Amino acid sequence: MKRRTILKSTLSAAVLASVAAGAAWAENPVLKIGFVGVTSGPAAAWGISNQRSMETRAEWINETGGYKIGDTTYDIEIVSFDDQKDPKRAVAGMEKMAQEGIHYVVGPNVDDGAAAVRPVAESNGIMYFPYAFPKSLYQAPASNAVLGMVANYQSGPAIYKHLKEAEGVKTVAFIAANESDPLSQRDGGVAAAKALGLEVVSDSVTYQVDTTDFTPVLTPIMRAKPDLLVLSGVSPANAPQLIRSARELGFSGLISTETAQDAQVLREGAGDLANGFISVGGASTPEIASDMMNEFVERYTDMFGEYNDESNTKVYALEYILETLKANPAAIDDVEAYKVTMDTFEAPNPYMQGDAVLKYVGDSSFGQKRQVAVPLVVNVYQDGAFETMFIAEVD
Amino acid sequence: MFNNVTSKQWMGLAAFLFAIFVAVPMFIAATGRTDFYFTLTMVALLSIASGGVWLTFYIGRINIGQGAFALAGAYASAVMITKFSFSFWLALPLAGVFSALVAVLIGLPILRLRGVYFAMITLVLTEVVKLTSLALDITNGARGITNIPRPDGLSVFGLTIIPDFGAMENPKLGFYYLACVLMVLAFATLYRIVNSRLGHLCRSMQQNEELASSIGVNISHIRLIVFAISSFFGGIGGAMVASLTQSVYPNTFQVKDSVDFMLNVFLGGLGYVFGPMLGTLVIYFGWDLLFVAKEFQLLIYSTILIILMLILPNGILSLRLKKPGSDVAKAADASGLELKEGK
Amino acid sequence: MDQIPQILANGVYLGAQYAMIALGLTLIFALMNVLNFAHGQMYVIGGFVTYTIYGAWGIPFVIALAMSCITLAILGALIEKFLFAPVIKKSARDESTMLLAAAIAFLLDAVILLVFGEKQRGVPKLVDGTTILGDYTLVIANDRILICLLAIASIVGFISFMQFSKTGRALRALAQDRVAAQLMGVNVDRYSMIGFALGAMLAGLVGGLLVTITGINLGMGGPTSIKAFMMVMIGGAGVISGAIAGGIILGFLEAAGLALLASYGDITYLLIFVSLMIFLAIRPQGLMGKPWG
Repeated sequence: MKRRTILKSTLSAAVLASVAAGAAWAENPVLKIGFVGVTSGPAAAWGISNQRSMETRAEWINETGGYKIGDTTYDIEIVSFDDQKDPKRAVAGMEKMAQEGIHYVVGPNVDDGAAAVRPVAESNGIMYFPYAFPKSLYQAPASNAVLGMVANYQSGPAIYKHLKEAEGVKTVAFIAANESDPLSQRDGGVAAAKALGLEVVSDSVTYQVDTTDFTPVLTPIMRAKPDLLVLSGVSPANAPQLIRSARELGFSGLISTETAQDAQVLREGAGDLANGFISVGGASTPEIASDMMNEFVERYTDMFGEYNDESNTKVYALEYILETLKANPAAIDDVEAYKVTMDTFEAPNPYMQGDAVLKYVGDSSFGQKRQVAVPLVVNVYQDGAFETMFIAEVD
Repeated sequence: MFNNVTSKQWMGLAAFLFAIFVAVPMFIAATGRTDFYFTLTMVALLSIASGGVWLTFYIGRINIGQGAFALAGAYASAVMITKFSFSFWLALPLAGVFSALVAVLIGLPILRLRGVYFAMITLVLTEVVKLTSLALDITNGARGITNIPRPDGLSVFGLTIIPDFGAMENPKLGFYYLACVLMVLAFATLYRIVNSRLGHLCRSMQQNEELASSIGVNISHIRLIVFAISSFFGGIGGAMVASLTQSVYPNTFQVKDSVDFMLNVFLGGLGYVFGPMLGTLVIYFGWDLLFVAKEFQLLIYSTILIILMLILPNGILSLRLKKPGSDVAKAADASGLELKEGK
Repeated sequence: MDQIPQILANGVYLGAQYAMIALGLTLIFALMNVLNFAHGQMYVIGGFVTYTIYGAWGIPFVIALAMSCITLAILGALIEKFLFAPVIKKSARDESTMLLAAAIAFLLDAVILLVFGEKQRGVPKLVDGTTILGDYTLVIANDRILICLLAIASIVGFISFMQFSKTGRALRALAQDRVAAQLMGVNVDRYSMIGFALGAMLAGLVGGLLVTITGINLGMGGPTSIKAFMMVMIGGAGVISGAIAGGIILGFLEAAGLALLASYGDITYLLIFVSLMIFLAIRPQGLMGKPWG
């Protein structure tokens, strides 16, 4: 009998603790925004930077009295679900969001998760903001997904073109992890490079996601001596190792990627060897960050101990959702109204200096406005920080 | 064929069937927690695959590769449905058969291994199937297969037996019932196998393969048959998951899933046919419920697992051990003890 | 053919680090018949400890490395005493420890995420510079040479410890035959704990060494365990020489496959897996293992 009692009390204690944790303060009515993404395992950094950006912003809003949509002031609550980078779990997470009555969800972080949740999102009236690039997610007949960042097939050509003209790059090599997202980004990159008239000298080298030492992987590429090495869809964890190994193998050309990276991670993992590394970021480089962006970074750092530069892009999704709801309060539980507003929505971009605006774009890539307009800021890493190389716009 | 089942067990079975087919839908309708349908459907499907893993344990093999066969089954059904326009109701059993054939092919060499060697080699299988699906064209490589149509209607002589899932008002409920029916069938099959001549042979092999072989049991034959049945269950589970989520990717079943299948079986208790069902419920549903714990989800989940192991190292169902259990439980338990002493 | 020097260099380097990872795993397996799923997580903790002390606080590397070893040895001893030992005593089957090991792996993953965070971490290079021979036919970074030498030295040190110390002899006796060792007066409980602590310490040591090259992140644990399992399978479970052989063979296979098969996409691992299955079908106990572990 004794062990049964222990078992029961343990379980009930766990349940009680979890219930207590769920009960929150409630003065204003609460507006729940969801997050479904990966916050554990090797790719945890992607999802955690999303989740923490959202929590920082929500806390900030609530502290300053809430967010006014129509006549009601709401407290924002972030409901997050860890999908463990597993499409099955992502579906379960989306079901959970539907159950919580949530209509706006940020995530998932990867291609297969984003594609897998589509039927659930569409049948439950949920708009979701994936960080995944497959065009089929955003092109009609799909209509509930909004790309939360700049896609590689938008940033890639801009970067290659710039490097071709400014740096005289003629040959390119691609390397990608043997996994859905990086492989499709590589294929997109190869096509873009060829369209620009660059010579692709190597595009077949891949590595296992769990590789820790990239010297053997990179050895064959180094023989092709490309002017530019593109790390397609590289995860922030792998980027510094790849750069370091390439440089140590004597590679002297340019290295670039189309995903967001973190300066601190590059500094620790590759040190000076990462100087000159080109990546795509949001809007926190000193030249363009607004005071609000700086305060966001400060609050994030206060809350979680350390900022993540990936959040420069990831701060936007929640802002877009709230601003759009403010523009059309009817959309709060009606995504069809939201979709109508998307076509004409425009609001000042609080995170950037100057007169940049928040608006939905994507006409030329998807045939409908299903992408948030994030400034396409191409960064160069230099001595522990990112510097702006050039800024472009997506239409 | 089930003549050794006591009336008490029949009652238990009736109560169980009532619970899953009547009480659970009523509970969900009353509370409005429709997200439980997806979770419970998933539990039913994963427990079918876990049941397969349990069966390989029954011949004394630790199988940490069920994810491979689930993934193979998922791809097989998806390819048959989307590329060759098979009916779902034909593709589902064929997916199981496909996984079973793969199992025979792989099993021929690796079933000679025992103990941790077999466990470790199966751990690699999931990765092999994943890499293969990434490399092949028919599986769409990294992009996976999406937009798999929902199960079509099934009619015999113009009589509709199963309505078209796409036209259903509540496909969630349809999937839930389908998954439960398949789960009941799977575990009835398992129960039948365990109490058959094959089951007795398996138990004798679990205790001592050499001895079993010396009394004329064709052990390599039986190993292969059992492994194929086990993988058939994996394939069915995988094909159903693909149909439920309407998509399949190289990541749909990962090494982690294979480990989870094994954990389900251990947690429920190796000595009990219905252990995998209970283990899957606790592991999958428990993780889902703990979602309120936010960043402490994994910490609490793993702590509970460890505590469970410390209190009940022989599985949750061993709580019943003190009562006179079924023949199977006793026999399997005894063999387990002997297995340990034999080393 | 001019690739051969580079392949050999990469192979030696990968092989040395792999062998060290496999050593701790095989030691624990030999002593307790436990397949330690949490081995990779222990390696990750070792890496993070060295990162924190050497990378973040700037304390000399040697001290950081020693702290990694001590932390893991203590952690290993505690895990053995309070988790594995009671479960092994109570459970009806050896295999039950696999569930426990997997649960510990999850637990350590959760702890790593909460304590050390989700980011990739790295430390300053130990030595700068690259050695280049014969017009780029052989390129190898100096810190890799250093780590490779340290790894080989640790392996030699570990083997001599097992051969010549009293503790080492007791552990070997325990691995050979638990019952006989007990009859000969070896305190089985105590040495099981020491052995587990030693295995965990090796994981911590290799984590601390490799963080200087590959960095560390919380996702490295699981895949590291699986790779270690493969090496143990190649060499034979529970045999020290087997773990070393397995590590070196896997290192060379990877180095050669990645260099020669690069143009065919990622089929290196598929080929390694398939050949492993064929190899095990012919020789189920690995190169040097006792049959049936």
